[in-house]
Amino acid sequence: MTWSWALRDLLRHPVRSALSLLGVAVAAALLLDMVMLSGGIERSFGQLLRSRGYQLRVSPLGTLPFDTEATMGGVTALSAALRRDAAVMEVAPILGTTLQGEHGGVALALVAYGVEPAAQGIYTLERGNDLTPGDRTGVLLGEPALLRLGADVGDTIVLRGRLDPQLADASSEVALVVRGIVRFLYDARDQPSIATPLAVAQRLAGAEATDRASVLMVRVTDDATMGATAARLRAAHPEVAVNSIDDLVAQFRLRLTYFRQLSLILGSIALVVTVLLVGTLLAITVNERSGEIATLRAIGVARERIVSQVLVQGLLLTVAGGALGLLLGLGTARWLDAILTSFPGLPAAISFFVAEPKPIATAAATLLLTGLLAGVPSAWRAASAPIASALRSDAP
Amino acid sequence: MTTVLEARDLERRHPLDGREVSALRGVSLTVKAGEYVAIVGPSGSGKSTLLTLLGGLDLPTAGSVQILGTALEGLPDRALTRLRLERIGFVFQRFHLLPVLTARENVELPMAEMGVPPAARRARALELLEYVGLAERAGHRPTQLSGGEMQRVAIARALANRPALLLADEPTGELDVATSREILALFRRLHADGTTLVVVTHDERVTAEASRVIRMLDGRIAD
Repeated sequence: MTWSWALRDLLRHPVRSALSLLGVAVAAALLLDMVMLSGGIERSFGQLLRSRGYQLRVSPLGTLPFDTEATMGGVTALSAALRRDAAVMEVAPILGTTLQGEHGGVALALVAYGVEPAAQGIYTLERGNDLTPGDRTGVLLGEPALLRLGADVGDTIVLRGRLDPQLADASSEVALVVRGIVRFLYDARDQPSIATPLAVAQRLAGAEATDRASVLMVRVTDDATMGATAARLRAAHPEVAVNSIDDLVAQFRLRLTYFRQLSLILGSIALVVTVLLVGTLLAITVNERSGEIATLRAIGVARERIVSQVLVQGLLLTVAGGALGLLLGLGTARWLDAILTSFPGLPAAISFFVAEPKPIATAAATLLLTGLLAGVPSAWRAASAPIASALRSDAP
Repeated sequence: MTTVLEARDLERRHPLDGREVSALRGVSLTVKAGEYVAIVGPSGSGKSTLLTLLGGLDLPTAGSVQILGTALEGLPDRALTRLRLERIGFVFQRFHLLPVLTARENVELPMAEMGVPPAARRARALELLEYVGLAERAGHRPTQLSGGEMQRVAIARALANRPALLLADEPTGELDVATSREILALFRRLHADGTTLVVVTHDERVTAEASRVIRMLDGRIAD
C-alpha cells in the first residue's frame, strides 16, 4: 500500500510533481554527463591508443608524439636497435610533415604522414588498396583531403615539399597515384591528411628530414610487459623519449585535470540540486499533510510507516527523474561530444563522454541515495509532530 | 462490568505567551464497557483536551489514564501507538479521511497497519461500509462524498480493528441537522451493539441519547 499511496500522493499535485520531476531529471542528466566526462575521455584515449596494437611510442626527447614538429634522426639504426629487444615485435616509424597537394586545379596544405607500409598504426583502410612495401608512387587520402581535392582512387595528385629558402621554390615535387582511402585515427575532425611511403615523405620534407621520423610506434609481445619494456628501452636509449600507453594516458590525464575538476564540481551541484528539489517538495508535502499525518498517527499508524511513506515519495520522484535524466543525459552527451571533439587539435575519434555501466550505476546509486536522504528531515518531522495540536490546527 | 477507561486527577497545562495555562485541573472519570458517555461544556472548558488525553494522543502534565488496565503514562511511543491501533477508535469533527484513498481503502488502513491480510481486510472494510450504509460508495474518494458520508466512513474506519473504546470529538460539528441525525442514529446502533462510546459534543441531542453526561467547566468536571 505504501508505494501506491505515495504515488497517488505525488499525483495529487500533478503540475508541481511534474516540475520537480523535470528538475530532478535535469540534475540527473547533468550528473550522468559529468560522470561520463570525468573518466570518459581518458578511457576513450586509452582505447584509441590501443586500437592498432602498438603499446609504446618513441618520440624526440622531452616531447610526446606529435606534440611538436621535432623529429628524431638515425631512425633506421634506432629502429633496428629497438627490434633487437626480445619483447619488441614490430617498429613503425612515422614522419609527420606539411605538404602542398594539388589535383584538378585545386591546391591545399595537407598534413602528410610518411609510413612504412609493412607496419603502421595510424590509419585503417576504408576502400581501395593499402600501400605495399617498396611502393614509391602511391598515396593514401583521408576523407577530408579526398573531398577537398576532388580526387578519388586511381587519380594522380601532385605533392610539393617545403619551400627552399634560398631558391624560394618548392624543394621537390612528386606525382603520386591515389591507392586507397583511409581513416586516420589521430586526426582532428576535417583535417586533410594523406599517407605516403616514409621515404617519399622524407624526400619531400627536405634534406634535413633524411632518415628522420616524428615517432616510432612499437608493438611488444603483450600488454603485461609494456611497462617493463618501456623502462628497459628508456634506459637503453636515453636520447629519445619512450612512453607506454599507460604513460601517455597518465600525461593526458594530467592535462585534463580541469575536466575532472569541472565534472566533480558540476556533478556535486547536480546532487545538491536534487537534494533541494526533493527536499523542498517533501517539506511542502509534509506541511500540507500535517493533519493527515496526525490522523494516521492517531489511528495507530507507526512512526516507521510515516517515515517510509515520505521517503518512498522522495525515492519515487528520484527514480522517475533519474530514468528521464538518463535519456536526457545520453542525448546531451552526444550533442556536447560533437561540439567538444570538433575542437582543433583533438583526435576526432576520441569521445569526451563514454557510457560505461559501472560509473553509470555508481551515479544512479548516488542519485537514489541522495533522493532518499533528501527526504529524511521531512520524514522525521512528519513522524515526530505532536498529534493533538496538528489535528487541532489542520484538516486534510 | 469491565472498566474500559479510567482517568485519575488529570491535569494539562500549556505554555502561552510566557505563562502557563491550565486546560484541565484534576479530572477523574471511569467508563465501563458498553457505556455511552457524552462530555459537554462550553468552548474552552477542556473537553477536547480531555479526549486527546483519554485517547493517548497527548500526555497529561499530571495524573494517569488506563485503558483496559494499561497505564498510558510511561509507555514508549511504539507501544502507545499500538494500543491506539488495537484498542481505540477515533472519530474527528473534520473526518480526517485520506483524500488519495477510496472509502474502502480508508477503512482498510488500520487493518493494514495491524497486518490483516489484504483479502480479509477488504471483506471487513466492505462489511463495515455496509454497516454504516455506504457499501455502494466503497470505491469513491472522500472528495466525491458528502459530509455525512465522510463521517460514516470515518466511523467505519474507527471500528475496523474492533476497538474496546470509540472516542468521538464533535462528530456532528460539521454536519447539517439531517445528516447529524443519521450519525446519531449510527451511534445509537453502535451503543446497542455493545460499543463503548465517549463523545465530546455541543450537540444536546447527543446528551439526550447518552447513558451518562459529563459536564465540564474551566477544565473541571462541573457536576
